[in-house]
Amino acid sequence: MYNLCILFLTGFISPILTFYVNEGLKQGPVRSSAVLSLLVGLYFHLFPQSMDSYLVSNIPIVFIGGSFIGMVSSRILSNYLLLGTAGLIFCLIYINASQFFKGYGGAVGTASAIALLAALSIPVFTKKQRLTNGIMLLRKTLFGTARRQ
Amino acid sequence: MKQPNAAFVQARYQPEQYHEQARDYFQHLIRIFAENLENMNRHQAVRTIFIFFLLLIQVIFISQIFKEHTHSLGTVAILAVLSILVLITHLRGKIHHKDHAYEHILVAVWIPVGALITFYLNHFLKLGPVLSAALLGSAASFIPNLRKHSHYLQQLPAAFYCGAFIGMSSSGVAPNFLFVATASIFTALLLIISKNLFAGVGGKLGTLAFAGVVITSFIFFLVSSYV
Repeated sequence: MYNLCILFLTGFISPILTFYVNEGLKQGPVRSSAVLSLLVGLYFHLFPQSMDSYLVSNIPIVFIGGSFIGMVSSRILSNYLLLGTAGLIFCLIYINASQFFKGYGGAVGTASAIALLAALSIPVFTKKQRLTNGIMLLRKTLFGTARRQ
Repeated sequence: MKQPNAAFVQARYQPEQYHEQARDYFQHLIRIFAENLENMNRHQAVRTIFIFFLLLIQVIFISQIFKEHTHSLGTVAILAVLSILVLITHLRGKIHHKDHAYEHILVAVWIPVGALITFYLNHFLKLGPVLSAALLGSAASFIPNLRKHSHYLQQLPAAFYCGAFIGMSSSGVAPNFLFVATASIFTALLLIISKNLFAGVGGKLGTLAFAGVVITSFIFFLVSSYV
């Protein structure tokens, strides 16, 4: 449980940190993701005894996965809370990840993309009329019509 | 004021010739319009096919998790909600540019380079997938600094980083350089056609890399089965 909390915390912080370096410090998406992941990866490579072996092997992967989310353009998403939520969703996918795709390059990126796409639809349900509005928009998107309330 | 020569005017203004020219001109315009329409349809088809392909990759990814967690009701419920949320974002379609554009081949050509370097760092220098990809990505992110005004150099970090994700594959999936090179070529093709699609979406490069690796695995599986 403790290990999972640490992983979720990593998943929450990583996209926010990457997005800040990307958009706030204007370092660009690739540098912000790669340099932060390099620092985390290097730390656990040099000090493998610093934490539990499960965390040592998983934190760098969760961090780099979260950093992919943080590479998002501010044109698409600029809300730090939603970024953190996307990171948590990513972590959820990562923990339940399929054994079939283990070791496939880009699987972490795919999980990040799915998490981000899921998080991008959250504002639909959190506008003025909250759920009702969200359901109406969903109906409109799916069937092309939305009944007036 | 100098008057125009009457003979010259008569020679220039010939109604039949003028009408012929106008007709040719309009025919030319219609031909250009038809060609553009054809191109537009082709671009639209490429665009639609790519979006469906990427959606399919994501569906395969999620359904595989479903398949392995059918015993856990909580996980199945979470994945169902997740699938609906992803579908809503896809259907809203606000993540794509309206105009379709192709990435230049000289940008995509760096994907295999990034993949092979990362694969070497990962498996031969035993740095591990995260450190190898991050190392290459960090180095590549400084390439635009070589010539700050070069538009071409500014596009290279993303191509290198995309290649790095392929090189992160484990030796069980990617046993040799041939596999990595093949997966890189497929990923490069996907990158070329998806310049304005999913633009600015985090994880796009990783998804392309994943698609490349999955296609290559499938091809290698078919080849090993029949040869």
